Amino acid sequence: MKKWFALLLCLVLMVPAFALAETEITLWTYPIGSWSKSDVVDEIVANFNAVYPDIKVKVEYLDYTSGDDQVTAAIEAGTTPDIIFEGPERLVANWGAAGKMMDISDLWTEETSADIAAAGEAMKGICTAADGNIYLYPLCMTTHCMVIDKAVFEATGAMQYINEDRTWTTEQFQNAMKVLADAGYMPGIVYCGGQGGDQGTRALVYNLYSAQFANAEHTEYTIGSEAGIKGLTLLQQMANDGTIVPDPAIVAGDAIALFANGTTPTCFCWNAALLETNKASLAEGIEPYAVTFPSDDGVPVLDGGIWGFGLFKNDDAAKVDAAKKFIQFVCDDPVQGPKSTYATGYFPTKASFGDIYTGTEKAGNAEYGMFTQYLGDIYQVTPGWATQRTEWWNLLQRVFAGGDVASEVAVYSANVNGK
Amino acid sequence: MKGAFLMTKAAKGGTALSRANQRRENIAGYLFMLPSLLFFVGFVIFPMGLCLFNSFFNYTMTDFSFVGLANYKELIADPIFRTALVNTIVIVLVSVPVTCVFSLWVASVIYKMHDRYTSLFRCIFYLPVVTGSVAVTVVWKWMFSPYTGILNYVFRSLGLISKNINWLGSPDYALGCIILILLTTSVGQPIVLYVSALSNVDHSLVEAAEVDGATNLQVFWKIKWPQIMPTTLYILVITTINSFQCFALIQLLTSGGPNNSTQTIMYYIYYNAFKLSRYGYGSAMGVILAAIIAVFSAMQFKLAKSDNG
Amino acid sequence: MSENIKAAPQVHHFKKPKSGNQDHSVHQVTVYQVLCVAALIIVALLFTFPLYWIITGSFKGPQAVNARVPVWFPTEPTLLNYEKLFEKPAFMWMFNTVFVCAMAMLFTCVAASMGGYALAKKRFTGRALIFSIFVCAMALPKQVILIPLLKEMAFLNLHNTLWAVILPTVGWPFGVFLMKQFSENIPTELLEAARIDGAGEVRTFTQIVFPMIKPGIGALAIFTFINTWNDYFLQLIMLNSTEVLTISLGIAKLQSEMSTDYGLIMAGAALGSIPIIVIFLMFQKFFTRGITMGAVKG
Repeated sequence: MKKWFALLLCLVLMVPAFALAETEITLWTYPIGSWSKSDVVDEIVANFNAVYPDIKVKVEYLDYTSGDDQVTAAIEAGTTPDIIFEGPERLVANWGAAGKMMDISDLWTEETSADIAAAGEAMKGICTAADGNIYLYPLCMTTHCMVIDKAVFEATGAMQYINEDRTWTTEQFQNAMKVLADAGYMPGIVYCGGQGGDQGTRALVYNLYSAQFANAEHTEYTIGSEAGIKGLTLLQQMANDGTIVPDPAIVAGDAIALFANGTTPTCFCWNAALLETNKASLAEGIEPYAVTFPSDDGVPVLDGGIWGFGLFKNDDAAKVDAAKKFIQFVCDDPVQGPKSTYATGYFPTKASFGDIYTGTEKAGNAEYGMFTQYLGDIYQVTPGWATQRTEWWNLLQRVFAGGDVASEVAVYSANVNGK
Repeated sequence: MKGAFLMTKAAKGGTALSRANQRRENIAGYLFMLPSLLFFVGFVIFPMGLCLFNSFFNYTMTDFSFVGLANYKELIADPIFRTALVNTIVIVLVSVPVTCVFSLWVASVIYKMHDRYTSLFRCIFYLPVVTGSVAVTVVWKWMFSPYTGILNYVFRSLGLISKNINWLGSPDYALGCIILILLTTSVGQPIVLYVSALSNVDHSLVEAAEVDGATNLQVFWKIKWPQIMPTTLYILVITTINSFQCFALIQLLTSGGPNNSTQTIMYYIYYNAFKLSRYGYGSAMGVILAAIIAVFSAMQFKLAKSDNG
Repeated sequence: MSENIKAAPQVHHFKKPKSGNQDHSVHQVTVYQVLCVAALIIVALLFTFPLYWIITGSFKGPQAVNARVPVWFPTEPTLLNYEKLFEKPAFMWMFNTVFVCAMAMLFTCVAASMGGYALAKKRFTGRALIFSIFVCAMALPKQVILIPLLKEMAFLNLHNTLWAVILPTVGWPFGVFLMKQFSENIPTELLEAARIDGAGEVRTFTQIVFPMIKPGIGALAIFTFINTWNDYFLQLIMLNSTEVLTISLGIAKLQSEMSTDYGLIMAGAALGSIPIIVIFLMFQKFFTRGITMGAVKG
């Protein structure tokens, strides 16, 4: 028995030893647009291998529900991947700040830095941690908006509350939700069962009365301000009136699915890529129409999303080298770069790529470019982000359970800013 | 019951072994024990010790420093931990007696039936156990759904509710729903045990009592109940263990929400470890949980002893 | 209630409430029994419903799944969900699950039957102490040791391999406990006789003990297999990569990726549960005996 066991153990331990013969790197990707689909990613890897045949890329697909747990487990177990594809709130503010990521400032050459700055000036700062190291190399960006079913809005007359430029005021939003509820439709579902897609609920709350989610210095979360409390109070009120539906049992993914199958004509989580990934599952007759979040002054501020690559700390120089080659190929190659971005459904972080959607299958994505003007501060790099995320949906749950808004927000602020 | 936890008389009471024989028994005994001890110590006892050790450290993704009892002090003051503790105890205190009573009822109805039917019902009530925790959880999630769930539809059709209820999203119902699902997955084994225990009840006593004019209820309490007592105690133990282990239900259905109304210690440990990377704090919680379970087990063993002894 | 039913099962039928010695309350008992059986049948139907919903749900198209008025039976059954399911590496998940269960079963049976025998029949020093520790640890939820176990597996270079799930499963003390209960039934005289005949320890174990505890091993095997199949938690923390996922993790992943595509999720649930249900039904007798034998002395 022991002999078998020892033998098996040896066999298991030998497997990685054999695999080391050629450089194998591992990429973990969150579902960023079509980067969640193996056929799309396989093609990107195949293009890469056409240039670098000796580097094998193994891809793992994470999801937003359990992905963070998997990365945490991997960090604790020392089995992290070489490359990870996600945004600065994880790569920079979380794992980077915890010292688990590798500085990749050498990828930010003068040329690429200038190209990226031309697409968004603040980009480099966002990818840089407090210690001055750069932990992220961006591929794409977008603004998060919300979506309505134009067909239902037109049929019920709610469409009159949405301006030509796809903005609306808080009052218009209240009216529209009331019209939907009165017509027997399920108005917007405020999901708060977890952190998935919480950018939508955050933007909803802080836009209602133009609150700021975090201060400009990125030292403190400030939704506890008067405007923030006012926004949450309004939502609590609307929930009581039945003009929004709080659901503490679901996250954004479920809410999107409920939009796609026609259960509700409104969804607070949407962006260019979601249009693409949900196209196939849209029930007949649904016309997704992206709009901004409602705001008291009619000028919305939208959450931005930036996604790119980072490297986990790794002693193996060959792997680091191979991983950097992969990142450079995927992001910087003049042919592959736009293709990689196209796969995400978002917009390039390099000015030189230009418009990559017009005239393609994803032509619909091009119109989301109009929201870029509303792009707000990337506050996700404020310290305590991971805590903030779990505290946020807990706060919403307490508010919708009828808690006193001011005191519940105070609890939230203390927990979040206390660290 | 006694036999399980004490050495049996036969083994204990034999004549003292000679020294040479004792040594031989020791060698043979430990050699036979070796494989199981190896696994047990390596993957249960050692991690348990490490857990105790970690609980005295501020152990996070970036830090590992000795903090003495600070984690425990924080635990006592942590309102979510208190909620989790209360919920865990509620789950155990509700599901254990209900499971016992329900399975005793089912068993007492089916043990008298034709073998074929006994077997059929036994299987039916065991089905949720073998269906698997994840499969059971996802189908209940669907049934509970406020949008396409069948439960809301049925209750509305019956006029029990006027509009769809978000069962898992409501602090009033969520814990009840979790307990309900837990119940369906925990009655299988007790029913099997009760059926066998009831069939083994000494029937001459039952007949004698009936001749003396005892009612059914009297027969049950005076004759059957004492005889199935060991089984009941065993069922209490396994159901308690089972209730303490319900994790998939919470993780996949509510993540401890809404508003921590389904938070349990088991999930809160996981939450602290994986969502907040607070390993030391999570370990301290683990130690407390182990202590609570030790107390529960000790109580049950004590009950078992006093009953038999 | 009056005779030994198991000795004469053919006499009874559940539609025929029996009379016999209970003349003093025949009528009352009959009504009570009929009510009981009726209630039982209703409850039993409710217990089978989730499984029914899994299986029918897996054959429903998107419209039927999302219908406001539930579709009780898929009138237009579709294999779409299964097609989607097998676009994922569902077969590999199945293979991994079976591998984990089979290995855990094999190691557990070997280790536990030896350990259980020693605890029941070998009078070695420290036996009582070891046994109490085993019993105490039986109630321990795995969540308690999650973090150290993770670290340990990382240290052994086994994290994210199937062995990280198998080894702690084998370490779980229930098997030893169960096999001790079975081994208690071996007559000590038989072992004495074997020793007098000059049989060594190994021969005694393989030729006398093993055949006697075989039914117990069978029960333990099935028990371990089903428990490992369902042990979602350990799999969740130990396994990451697509190629080592188990079916339970696969379903959970479907649920988080495809949240409300219940047709697909039900297809996954069906794939994950049907094989184990079939195994259970095939070895049901074994299983029932294992459960009861484990408890008789307990």
